[in-house]
Amino acid sequence: MAEGGDVEWELSKENIQPLRRGRAISALHHALSQQQDGLSSAINQQRQAFESELRMYDGDDPLDVWDRYIKWTEQTFPQGGKESNLATILEQVVTRFTEGNKYYDDPRYVELWIKFAENCPEPLDIYRYMQAQGIGVTQTSLYIAWSEEYENQGNCRKADLVYQEGFKKCAEPHDKLLQFHKALQARVSRQVMMNVEEDDSDDEPKEPQRVSLADLKSRGKKKAIAPINRVGSAIRSIPGGIQSHGASVLGNASNSKLVVFDENKTRAGPSEPKLESWAAPPTSKAKENEQKPGIWCDVKMPQKSKFGHTVMAPPPPKPTFQPFVEESDQPPTMTPCKINPAVNSVLSARKPCREETPLKRLQEHHQQQKEAESGKLHEQSMYCKELLLSGATEFCFEELRAERYFKKVTQEVKGEKDPANATPN
Amino acid sequence: MTGSNEYKLNQGPEDSISAVKFSPSATQFLLVSSWDGTVRLFDVGSNTMRMKYQHSAPVLDCAFYDPTHSWSGGLDAQLKTHDLNTDQDTIVGTHDAPIRCVEYCPEVNVMVTGSWDRSVRLWDPRTPCNAGTFTQPEKVYTLSVAGDRLIVGTAGRRVLVWDLRNMGYVQQRRESSLKYQTRCIRAFPNKQGYVLSSIEGRVAVEYLDPSQEVQKKKYAFKCHRLKEEGIEHVYPVNAISFHSIHNTFATGGSDGFVNIWDPFNKKRLCQFHRYPTSIASLAFNNDGTMLAIAASYMHERGDISHPEDAIFIRQVTDAETKPKST
Repeated sequence: MAEGGDVEWELSKENIQPLRRGRAISALHHALSQQQDGLSSAINQQRQAFESELRMYDGDDPLDVWDRYIKWTEQTFPQGGKESNLATILEQVVTRFTEGNKYYDDPRYVELWIKFAENCPEPLDIYRYMQAQGIGVTQTSLYIAWSEEYENQGNCRKADLVYQEGFKKCAEPHDKLLQFHKALQARVSRQVMMNVEEDDSDDEPKEPQRVSLADLKSRGKKKAIAPINRVGSAIRSIPGGIQSHGASVLGNASNSKLVVFDENKTRAGPSEPKLESWAAPPTSKAKENEQKPGIWCDVKMPQKSKFGHTVMAPPPPKPTFQPFVEESDQPPTMTPCKINPAVNSVLSARKPCREETPLKRLQEHHQQQKEAESGKLHEQSMYCKELLLSGATEFCFEELRAERYFKKVTQEVKGEKDPANATPN
Repeated sequence: MTGSNEYKLNQGPEDSISAVKFSPSATQFLLVSSWDGTVRLFDVGSNTMRMKYQHSAPVLDCAFYDPTHSWSGGLDAQLKTHDLNTDQDTIVGTHDAPIRCVEYCPEVNVMVTGSWDRSVRLWDPRTPCNAGTFTQPEKVYTLSVAGDRLIVGTAGRRVLVWDLRNMGYVQQRRESSLKYQTRCIRAFPNKQGYVLSSIEGRVAVEYLDPSQEVQKKKYAFKCHRLKEEGIEHVYPVNAISFHSIHNTFATGGSDGFVNIWDPFNKKRLCQFHRYPTSIASLAFNNDGTMLAIAASYMHERGDISHPEDAIFIRQVTDAETKPKST
């Protein structure tokens, strides 16, 4: 078991993104040892090989190359990140094959869409989009991923509805759908049971437990043991009730400000699955910090007083004494430093980038295609633009031509070695 | 179509032409690299081919070190130097992927190569040997030397400015001001800046001095576009060459046109007749009296039938190349 290489992977565990299908340990070792010092040329060469294969492919299953490329990327860049280009490749591949619905029911294509969705800030939007476009609607994997996303967000009801939708569409493989649906139901019911159990245990007459960190000591002559924060049924105002789950576990009035959302309360009746059709793309990314930038110095946090209203901190009073200053003490002289402000500034400010989501780009792509079909184009690029830009990195004409040249050379070499197979030309 | 001021070179390459370069001192010697795997030396005065040497694969670029030595590299990833007096080859070194560009920097006396292996390598031309490998963020598509500075254009529209005397760090990292792939970068002979051309009919004039005053002067313009039946056809701008005396420059596009521009007055000085196919490379000679024009299909629209590859030598006048003083 304990090989020398195992240590290495133990050391960089936190840099490895989990994959649904897991990782080959050999690939992982390889990737980790290679990435000690930046991108090695071997990786670049492999990537270049994939990129050129994407462009040179002339068979009838172009998705295959993309699929292998993406799997290679996942295995080679265990930590994900920008240099893996994974997000770009995924976006390229899903966009590319939306034209013509050749792959709409291909499990590989649906799998790529799901990976793409998982890389997006709003996976649910992507799933809804897929449904509206009819991508993967007969594939079980879509419903599983979709449902799991709902479940992660704590919406078990919708998670269940997604499965119902899957059953309606007769998604394949049916067994798997059934199995995952059962698993979801089991999880949900266990959760409900757990909640009930907790309450049950509360009902039992137990010794009141203290919440406070230290024991309460009796003071003076009094031998009182009160008041203490107690939990358990002893302090329940309503005895023997299951009415309040979750809330007021800490049973203290001052803590009751914290309202725990309870989905079981919002029982809005078994409405029809609200799997609305795709209307408009989501407007903005999930931004973490929406605060407007501003000056930081001289800004004070408004502080709450004991009585709950906002007070400004009073200005610090001026010291009534004269601070002692040594006579020889002089302000530290700055080292003369010639800073040319013009040189330090950026060459040109970055243009305000448009708020773009992958979905928005997808829709724009559709729009452009429609325009191109209806002949509304005003500009035409006089070169094989598609080929140059079809991968995650761009190619130039010379690279494409070089690929064709190398292909020809290897064919010739093969032909010479094996003259029987050489075509008489 | 060729007039009295223009003629076609005899014994030209048998496949696409990748680069044409004039000798730094003698006005009549022209080096030509080609996809047929050869580098040829022409005497354009007498319209004869003086010499030819072979690589094992297509050659993508060539450069003079001095009037008697040429350097070249291509798809075989080998950098060769050839003694044009004794007709002898030396393999100087290799890259990990095909070599896309070869240039000489007289100020620092170093040869510079750029490759699709994402590196720029320097070579000491006297020994000759490798003098350093410098990783670039992407595949190198074009490079140019401005005094002791090196301007590298890579895939992903990146532009990097290096100081050839101190290659410890990148002096400037820029993004191309054009929206599409960088095709060619050439530095002003006055070393103030460079001109960058893109794959979609656009050219940018940029300055190296990062101060805001100077940066304000930069601009870009559209060119090499043809309007046909209401649709604007946009062509790649493949080649740029500077006139060493006037600091004006010629651009060549896949539309087959050659334009000469005055970057100071932002004017086009002239446009020549349309050449049979794409302009792959351009070169002014050292005194600016001749322009070598390589009209050669670059497979930008795939492997289709195309006119014959040819090199034209055109006598140019001051009227065509000198900025109009206003």
